[in-house]
This record gives sequence, structure tokens and C-alpha cells, in this order.
Amino acid sequence: MSTLAYSYSEPYKLPAGVLALVVHGALFALLYFGVNWHNDQQQGMVVDIWDSLPAMRAEPAKVELPPPIQQAEPPKPVEPLKQAELAEPPKADIELAVKKKPKVKLPEPKPAVEVKKPPAQLKPAVAKISEADRVLQAAQAEQDRARAAQAAATEKIVDEYVSRIEAKIKRMVVEPPDVLESMQAEFDVILIPDGSVLSTRLTKPSGNAAYDEAVARAIVKAQLLPLPPDTSLFNRFRELHLTIRPKKKE
Amino acid sequence: MNFVQDLSFVHMIQNASVLVQLVMGLLLLVSLMSWWYIFLKMFAVRLAVRQSEEFEELFWSQSDLNRLYQNSNVSSGETGSMARIFAAGFAEFAKLKKRPGMDNSAVMGGVRRAMRATYQREMDNLESHLSFLATVGSVSPYVGLLGTVWGIMNAFRGLANVGQATLAHVAPGIAEALVATAMGLFAAIPAVVAYNRYAYDITRLSSRFESFMEEFSNVLQRQP
Repeated sequence: MSTLAYSYSEPYKLPAGVLALVVHGALFALLYFGVNWHNDQQQGMVVDIWDSLPAMRAEPAKVELPPPIQQAEPPKPVEPLKQAELAEPPKADIELAVKKKPKVKLPEPKPAVEVKKPPAQLKPAVAKISEADRVLQAAQAEQDRARAAQAAATEKIVDEYVSRIEAKIKRMVVEPPDVLESMQAEFDVILIPDGSVLSTRLTKPSGNAAYDEAVARAIVKAQLLPLPPDTSLFNRFRELHLTIRPKKKE
Repeated sequence: MNFVQDLSFVHMIQNASVLVQLVMGLLLLVSLMSWWYIFLKMFAVRLAVRQSEEFEELFWSQSDLNRLYQNSNVSSGETGSMARIFAAGFAEFAKLKKRPGMDNSAVMGGVRRAMRATYQREMDNLESHLSFLATVGSVSPYVGLLGTVWGIMNAFRGLANVGQATLAHVAPGIAEALVATAMGLFAAIPAVVAYNRYAYDITRLSSRFESFMEEFSNVLQRQP
């Protein structure tokens, strides 16, 4: 029996230990990376429905926008100029031809007078100057038109955003019970570029102090106010005059 | 008030109360040990099965028991349980045969007892740590539950100090506490599965050993 006396020890102790550690490591990694209960407070989604949206709205980055637009703006007036130049020359030629006719006629009746020749040479120059003037004027007109169109577009965007801001504020107003539809409260609001409100001032009370107060609160609650993505337009929003009317009652 | 809770796994363990953390630590330790034993037993049982198969093949292919005994005895550490049972039986047989005046049934009784003793020892070795797995499987859910109950008690006690009670006050505490139950179950489930599996394997091995012992006794009885 002495040959059989032995102390028992389990085989593969070390590999088993390593495997156990590996199992726990894997489990922990799974839990650490796979399970992450995030409790983000869901903010109420606000949906605006607008029948017309400015095209710029699609571009998401607000900060990167201004430089390309500012760079893009200067060429615009130039383009009309080029078009004007392209369009003008034929006209100028015709005019030149028209002007040349009298010029051609002039030297024939009075060939003897030599003094008058210089003016004859001057005349084309004068014509040329007036022609350049006309081109310039045309370009100016074109530029003005473009500027006016742009201004109109800007005005449209500004109007749209102002009414959007007003609508957002209006939504936030908790109206006191005795409000008439005819009331309107006017506020001067100072904004900073991210759309938050720096200060509000009641410029024209509605006649119902409770309503005025509710609107003032709503203005604060409505920030950040929607602003056009084109930050160059912000100057139009820096000091905003808002007119808030009560919601229509059914 | 803004309840933005980042309920990551580590975060929850860090925020739990001391007792819950202790319970979690204990469960982690127990889980580590039970997995270690799971792998140990897996290797041990597999090895025992393989060695038994090899030895049975050798035993039935070899007619000279003396040579087989020399073989199995020389490398007794590596030939496995069945070889050791055989060696114990054969050694006893050889010793008793040398004695004068021993009748055959007395010799066979001695051989059987020797084999039975070795068999018991082998079974004991094979079954070692299995009881640990059984204990882990049955107890660790309760330990985890204790941690959870304690954690939930704390969560509700914290609620008493708050004037306006919302679910947001209790929910993180309860989630933290429930991690303890989860860990208890994580420890228990593999342990139970492994215990059942190895108990079955070892029962099969033991019946195999016993039938070998019977067969070997017959072979020895036929020996001149």
C-alpha cells in the first residue's frame, strides 16, 4: 500500500485560475462597455411648422457659415457689372456709329479750317467718356437692383425670424384669464448671438399688467430664441422690438 | 432640478453603501473561486475519463497482469484512478498469494477491500470542491439578495428626508442594490450548472470503476 500513498493535487491548477480570471474579465468588460444606463432627461420636442423656410436653414454649422457668405457677397455686385459690360459694347458701337455720322459729315463742309480738327478728334474721346459713364451707370443700376433684391430677401428672412420668435414666445405665454384678443404688449428685447435674452423692457403695456408679466416671463422661458443661421444678420436682431398678442380663442 | 444620472456599472458599484459593497466583494470572490473550481474540475474530470478509457483498453488487450502491474505502478501518478485501483488490488493479491494457507475467498476478500479503499480515495479526490460549487449555487443568490434588501432599505430611508418624493430619488439606489442580486445570480448559475454536470460525470465514472473492480476480481479469481 505504501506505493499508493500520494498526496492528491488537482491537475491544471494554473490554467484553471487563468481561465477563471479571463471569464471574469470578459464579464466585466461586457458589463462595462455593453451596459450603460444613460438617464438623459428628455426635453420636450418643439416642432415649428412653417410654410416657407429659408434655404440657409439646412446648413447646420452656424459658426462656419459667415466667412463663405461674406466672401460670396462681394462677387455678386461684380457679376452684374460683367453682364453689363457684356451687354453694353454692342450698344456702344451703335452709338458710336451714330455719333460718327455727324462727325463724318462735319469735316466735309469745312475742310479749310484746320483749327477745328482737334475738336473733331476730341469728340470721340468725349463720346467714349460718356459711353463709359453709361456703362458705369448701368452697372450701378444693376448693382442697385441686386442690392435691393438682396435687401428684400434679407428683409424676408428677418421678418420670418421675428415672427418665429414672436410665435415661440407666444407659445410660452401662460395667459391670465381676462385677456382680450385685441390687446398687444410691446417689448424691446436685447439678444446675444446665441439667441439668449440679455434684457427685456416693456415699451407699450397691453393694459393688463398680468398679461404683460406673463409675456415677460415667456420671453425668458422661450430662450434660446430662433435666429437665422447667417450670423451677419444678427445686427438686425440685437435690439428687437417685439409685439406679442394673445392667442386666438376658439 | 435636473436629475441626469449616469448609471454606468462602475458608477453604481461605487455609489452603493458599505454593506452592499462588502456583499458585492464577497460575491466577486466567491464567483472567482467557483469559476476556478469549475475549470479545475473540468480538466480533472476530462483527464480521469480519458485515462480510464486508455487504461481499460490496455487492461483488456494485455493478458499478462504482472507486466501491466509493472507498467501501471511505475507511472502511477499519470495513469489515473482506474490504474491505481488496479495496482492496489493486484499488489494485495500478490502479497496474499505469497502467504501460505490462505484460501481463495480470503484472498479475494482482501483484494476487494484494498480496491474498495483506493476507489473511495479516488472518488473523494474527484468529488473534492464539488460541494463548494453546490454551496455557491445555493447560497450566493441569498447573499446577493441580502445586499439588495439592505440597499433598498437605504434607498427608502433616504427618501424619508425628502419632502416631495419622486421615483427619481429611489430609483438609482434600487438599481445599485439590485446589482448585488445580479452578481449573486452571476455567481450561482454557472456553479449550479457545473455542479450538476460534474456530479453526473463523476457518477458515471464511479459506476465504471465499480464495474471494473468486479471484472478485475473475476479475473483475479481465475488466476492460479
